[in-house]
Amino acid sequence: MLELKGLSKHFGGVRAVDGLDLRVTQGEVFGLIGPNGSGKSTVVNLVCGLFPVTAGQVLLRNEDITSLASHVRVACGVTRTFQNIRLFGQLSVWQNLWVAQNAVEHRSEGFLRRWLGGPGRAREEIDRILEFSDLSGKRDELAGNLAFGEQRRLELARAVVAKPALLLLDEPAAGMNAEEIDQLDARIRKLKQDGLTVLLIEHHMELVMAVTDRIAVLNFGQKIAEGTPDEVQTNRLVQEAYLGVAEAA
Amino acid sequence: MDFYLGLAQIVGVHTLLGLSAYCVLLTGQVSLAQAGFFAIGAYVAAMLTVLAGWHILPAIAAASFVAGVVACAVGFPALRVKGLMLVVATLAFGEAVRLFFFNFDYQVARGEVKIGPAGGEGFRQIRFFPEHGWSTLDVLLFIWLFVALVMAALWWMDRSRAGAVLRAVGEDEVAAQSAGINVTAVKVAAMTVGGLIAGLGGGIFAHYTAHIEHAQFGVALATFAIAYPILGGLSSVFGTLIAVIFVQGFLIEGLRFLGDWRNLLFGGLILLAMNVRPRGLIDAATIAGIKRLRIRNREPGNARTQGAE
Amino acid sequence: MSYLDVIDTLQSIADGVLSGATYSLLGIGFTLVFGVMHKINLSYAAASIGAAYASLIVLSVVKAPAIFIFLLAGLSGGIIGGVIYIVCFRFIPQANPLATLMSTVGALLLIDEIIVHATVGIPVPYPALFSDVIVNAGPFTLRGDLMFMFALGCLSMLLLLGLLYRTKLGIATRAVSQQPAAAQLCGISIPRVNGLTFVITGVVGGIAGAMIGAAIGVLSPLLSLPLTTKGLIVTVIGGLGSIPGAIIAGLLVGGFENLFQYFRGVTERDLYVMLLLFAFLVFRPGGIFSPAAGRD
Repeated sequence: MLELKGLSKHFGGVRAVDGLDLRVTQGEVFGLIGPNGSGKSTVVNLVCGLFPVTAGQVLLRNEDITSLASHVRVACGVTRTFQNIRLFGQLSVWQNLWVAQNAVEHRSEGFLRRWLGGPGRAREEIDRILEFSDLSGKRDELAGNLAFGEQRRLELARAVVAKPALLLLDEPAAGMNAEEIDQLDARIRKLKQDGLTVLLIEHHMELVMAVTDRIAVLNFGQKIAEGTPDEVQTNRLVQEAYLGVAEAA
Repeated sequence: MDFYLGLAQIVGVHTLLGLSAYCVLLTGQVSLAQAGFFAIGAYVAAMLTVLAGWHILPAIAAASFVAGVVACAVGFPALRVKGLMLVVATLAFGEAVRLFFFNFDYQVARGEVKIGPAGGEGFRQIRFFPEHGWSTLDVLLFIWLFVALVMAALWWMDRSRAGAVLRAVGEDEVAAQSAGINVTAVKVAAMTVGGLIAGLGGGIFAHYTAHIEHAQFGVALATFAIAYPILGGLSSVFGTLIAVIFVQGFLIEGLRFLGDWRNLLFGGLILLAMNVRPRGLIDAATIAGIKRLRIRNREPGNARTQGAE
Repeated sequence: MSYLDVIDTLQSIADGVLSGATYSLLGIGFTLVFGVMHKINLSYAAASIGAAYASLIVLSVVKAPAIFIFLLAGLSGGIIGGVIYIVCFRFIPQANPLATLMSTVGALLLIDEIIVHATVGIPVPYPALFSDVIVNAGPFTLRGDLMFMFALGCLSMLLLLGLLYRTKLGIATRAVSQQPAAAQLCGISIPRVNGLTFVITGVVGGIAGAMIGAAIGVLSPLLSLPLTTKGLIVTVIGGLGSIPGAIIAGLLVGGFENLFQYFRGVTERDLYVMLLLFAFLVFRPGGIFSPAAGRD
């Protein structure tokens, strides 16, 4: 599904990502972990197109998307969430989803209908996602007025509503309590069941170990380990890099 | 009575100007170029009716089109220039347009008289309305027909996906891009639509005022153009309309007994308004409140109402 | 072009550069506020002219030598700057740039109207210092008043740079502009720093206003809009937020303006200044010295 070849990103003298090779197969939940500053968020920004690459390639379903603009990549099937929530605060929950809804199947509706028409067929789709995210009761609420947990759910919903093939989650569990993390876990599993491929950046080790199929570990922009959760947990290099992260129970 | 009709005409034309800025402001671009597009519309329409003998309808249509094309051309380089630099760039563009017309001389002899734009002196004798026997009331209705059309179109756009997309771009371009929106296309489109509306307004303005000159289309007008939507609030087209009524009414009529002090109070009033209601007269919270009131009045005990609470 | 033409051209450039010091000061004011608060204060030029008016009033009361007028203008400018901060920026949420922009427009209108009321709309004469001093350097003529303005401008800029880079306030200002939240956590009061920034730029602006008055010989409220435009152009060409950029851009614009006027006359002069701006926007949108771009 996703392949990174020799991916590099330099900010002046800083090598945020350095010659990264990665393969994510379709339908798996792939975790990307590493200490702070190891380049995880930068990888997400490179894959979704917010930063131009310094070197290397990003391949989606074996097609080179490295030079495509962000919004075009969304049309190709890659969406993402943001670490610090970036919702459209002055728009309602419903509108936040409506705006992001650019699913390929709706394109056949024609330009005028899609842009100048009312909700129409889109309504069912959005309502379904609202239910999935437990936000049905808040559809007309301004996104900026939501509670933190609700905003996180909306952030995820917005990434899902565009019917992506690959979903990039940038620290979705940050700031969540245990109950919310369990719900997030359940949602990710459900998305996987529906056929999505997920690239998960996370610091929360319990979640990562529980929900991912494979993990890669970054440090200083380079991959230092890759494998199943068990393999990675027992890897000495990883333990050294993290220094003091307790092994998941 | 004629006086109030005249006031209503001014309000109508300025509403068009304000709405052209509204469009562009929604996408987060602060454009001081709307007065420039307005000027282009005015001169083009006037030249078409006076020098080429066109009827006013195709003339303002053409004026609108030309202004739209120019706006589209401005929209692209405007993308390279973000935030407050855009304010300066559009200000400079507007001034450049004004200076162009200041130096623009295109006179044609009709009999013994020379007609046409005459540089610093402006363009006189734009007499389509009187020549065709339009009364003040006729002109007024003509103006407000277009105001109504434009407002209806923008109102519809606001309720459609396009409206939400415009606002999303205005709020957070990065998030919008990542949600699949072609931000470039949206911003240029908004600028173009703004240009079309401003050109329309300018074309109408030239004919009801019968004499246009460069000084009318300067920084002051450009500032008024964005002042209306900002003061009225960007959440609804009606905000702009109310702001125009308030500003023009206030300046010209309302507090007439204050005489010269009106202008003084005007600046002070803007300061007060922005401190007390930074999001404008009609903001998102107001609209949400109005919606809740309407739902509550119509269907008490509706499950939706409880959800919205 | 004959030898005389070359001399004349260079002369006009030199004159322009000397008077461009005024534009530099205006540009510094705009760019400093932008650098610290990421907002534009559209009332700045009007406030500068207002300070010049105020200095006239004080001078007529105090009866000091004319040269003190610049000091008075600076002081008035500082006070006006502080007031503008309070009414335009202090109470409006920082996240709302449109509202602050609009409020500065309101301030601009208010200041202009106050001036019109106080002077009944009549332009007021302003003391022009050293206007009868002329220095001949070879084929060139250096006007005394222009040289004085230039020197005064340079002095003001040096003092300002000293303030920003050698004092605690200066460091605090730069800290706030880079990371307001972190600056707060270090005990820096943001409203205080912002307010002081406005006072300082107000002083600079007041001096600039006085210089303009001295150069033209009269003060009129009609000056504020063209000066606002000119000041903003200088700011953009120099790079938003860069003081050295504003300085150089001011001199550049001053020089070019005079050059355009020499070749094409007063009516077309401003059009070419606009073209200069557009050239920069197309080829170098960051300005002469764009401040370092950060990570997104």
